[in-house]
Amino acid sequence: MRKTILIGGKAGQGIAMTSTLLGKIFANAGFYVFNYRDYPSLIRGGHNFNVLAISDSPVFSFEKDYDIIVALDQNTINKHKKYLKKQGFILGGKALKSQKLISLDLERILSAMRLPPIFGNNILIGYIAHYFGLPLADVLRVIRREFGKKADVVSKSIKFAYGIKLHHQEKVRKKRKKKYFFSGNEAISLGAIAAGLDIYFAYPMTPATPVLHYLARKQKEYNILVVQPENEIAVINAALGASFAGAKTMVGTSGGGFCLMAEACSLQGMSEVPLVVYLAQRTGPSTGVPTYTTQGDLKFALNIGHGEFPRIVVAPGDAKEAFLRTIEAFYLSQKYRTLVIILGDKHLGESHFSFDEIEKPRVQSRDFLIKNPSPDYKSYKITKDGVSPRTVPGIGPTVRASGYEHDEEGITTEEEFKVSQMTEKRLRKIESIRKEIARLDPIKVYGRGENLIVSWGSTKGAIIDSLKKLKGFRFLQIIYLEPFPWLQVEREIKKAKRVFLVENNATGLLGKVIREQTGILIKRKILKYNGRPFYPSEIIKKIK
Amino acid sequence: MKNLNLQTKAQNTWCPGCFNFVILWAFQEAIRELIKERKLQKKNLVVVTGIGCHGKIYDYLDLNGFYTLHGRVIPTAVGIKLGNPELTVVGFGGDGDTFAEGIAHFLHACNTNPDITMLVHDNQVFALTTGQMTPTTEKEYKGPSSPEGKKTNPINPITLALAAGASFVARSSATHKQHLKRILKEAIVHKGFSFVDILQPCITFHNTAPYLSKRIYDLKKERYNPRNFDLAFQKALEWNYSLDQKSRIPIGIFYKKRRETFEEGFFQLKKPWYQVQRKVNYRKLFHH
Repeated sequence: MRKTILIGGKAGQGIAMTSTLLGKIFANAGFYVFNYRDYPSLIRGGHNFNVLAISDSPVFSFEKDYDIIVALDQNTINKHKKYLKKQGFILGGKALKSQKLISLDLERILSAMRLPPIFGNNILIGYIAHYFGLPLADVLRVIRREFGKKADVVSKSIKFAYGIKLHHQEKVRKKRKKKYFFSGNEAISLGAIAAGLDIYFAYPMTPATPVLHYLARKQKEYNILVVQPENEIAVINAALGASFAGAKTMVGTSGGGFCLMAEACSLQGMSEVPLVVYLAQRTGPSTGVPTYTTQGDLKFALNIGHGEFPRIVVAPGDAKEAFLRTIEAFYLSQKYRTLVIILGDKHLGESHFSFDEIEKPRVQSRDFLIKNPSPDYKSYKITKDGVSPRTVPGIGPTVRASGYEHDEEGITTEEEFKVSQMTEKRLRKIESIRKEIARLDPIKVYGRGENLIVSWGSTKGAIIDSLKKLKGFRFLQIIYLEPFPWLQVEREIKKAKRVFLVENNATGLLGKVIREQTGILIKRKILKYNGRPFYPSEIIKKIK
Repeated sequence: MKNLNLQTKAQNTWCPGCFNFVILWAFQEAIRELIKERKLQKKNLVVVTGIGCHGKIYDYLDLNGFYTLHGRVIPTAVGIKLGNPELTVVGFGGDGDTFAEGIAHFLHACNTNPDITMLVHDNQVFALTTGQMTPTTEKEYKGPSSPEGKKTNPINPITLALAAGASFVARSSATHKQHLKRILKEAIVHKGFSFVDILQPCITFHNTAPYLSKRIYDLKKERYNPRNFDLAFQKALEWNYSLDQKSRIPIGIFYKKRRETFEEGFFQLKKPWYQVQRKVNYRKLFHH
């Protein structure tokens, strides 16, 4: 069973809320759900839509091939009706016009119930849940969980919707086990909390902003602090200051904000103060297309900051990975006193994914601080693995951090021997990190076959879903992009007969990295750069 | 007391006779006295420095320190305070550092009132990069980047700080070391954002010593009341940082007021974060 529902209307009509709630209802009923969100950069008006793919087998993407269009305005019908399946229908209010329209007299219902227009969305949700034969009690349980004190009035409208005579019913078999259902941005927030986040610093920027909002809402529940400084430069420098003082810190931004953080990333490299950055990519250089997706910042993340210093770049491919990899990011940044960039994008961050289970993280995040340092403690002690044991000011011995080249005590030096000695100390961390991430699955291979698709990040969903229809194909997902697991990547590519690179960008950035790291040139490239994610059918068509 | 030694092994590389030596002395004395008075613990003191001649003070103080980027002393210092509210955080910046590269942070700190101290070595010139003009340099100044003379008037950091809402605004001078020591002590003890603009002749590129010494007078000797905002603004306008011949230069505390600090606004900031223990059941996080 696979159903695809598009919900569209104007910004401000609660499209994303409606779609997400419907997604939660189906996930609770044991279905796999993928929820895609599409919106332009405006607050009221325009055209927003979400697409829900609902299935009894795992689903991580959607096709433009709709069973139902839920229209909150005429524009939704005009724009999307060409993608409605032959036997599909459109659901909406009485004022709309379409031959496929099943109209509900929302105005009359709402005025009878004395509810504002936004509650019309709940009537539509109720109608769809009823249409697919979901038990009302199950739906109301989700409403209570989601709305708490405000649940009563929502429940009332859902109950009313269940009383409306259906034009038809298409009962779906209820799967037993309910699914986890959450977005990439929620996953990164929760991963940070699970890893012991103390302070999140951010300046609003789409598509990283939902993390700022989510964590801000959760401050009391988890005793964390969320701070919004005057600009991204203040964000990252304050985060380094707080980390130096012993707080576990993360910052979040998109490309433009990350540009402003470049100098401080370099300061991180020199000062070795732990820091986690969430970089949510959005389309295009400069302002670009702010609310759409891309994988255009790979090289930027790999190279940000002047000078040579270790950094870790990890790119989760779905929301569960985002959760688990964020925990790893904190663990690695604290252990190796290094910069870790969690490289996501709008598609990963703002889409909802469903899972049967959340596995236990492979690592337990901790602060790696020495709580009883000796009086002769040295902030930058030269060690075999390059990692100087860390403590914080306030405990006793003098603790230093410096962006200037320094000796073991952190005192400035320009002496030739010490400059090379400290450079080597820092760079030795790269090999230490490489060894550590080798046991954290830096790559993953899915499926069987002699041919190979190579990709990274949020394209995972569409590729995994396309594998079902591609005979003889494996998928290599590269998760840790720095330090690059070149040996494993090389082995996988060399084993394959035909190799395809799939990326949501215009120049095949991962392909360039693979060539740099392994010498292998991947000639077959499937690239998409219109701000939209891949649909599995596009990948299948280009490969065949 | 053994731990009152604040010296390090670092060799001092300021120009011989540089007024930075006076600032270093005054700060060390202020710290020693505050420790003796039990108003401060050495282990809880952190200095943050920017880039420029002033920044070298990081190497000359045996204190916890963060030698940060040019212009970013204030956000780094604010971060340290948020990371551990028990620390006493003192930032050192230059005039280029604070009023050119970092002006946004300066104005916002005046407004948000984090409990940190910001000491600006205001020598009205970029010295370490060999004598270019800064925002506080006088009009017509001829330097390597302005051979025909600076075209614009200097900014007045005192009026800026007052207008932006700073809760402690003071000016002192490296030419008046006892005054400087006294002001530094008061600034560090003040709860909230304390800003001290330290006038400092640069003996190599911008020697204002003769000009300053003739015109400086101490506000305290005039029985000036630093609690009156309007009066503070008037006093701040008495000298506009141009090296004009007619002005007198007031030094001392222009304005001082206890108001809620940035950190006091956050219920979470009760103890250092590294002491906070949490047990998170990761499955429960998802409200499944």
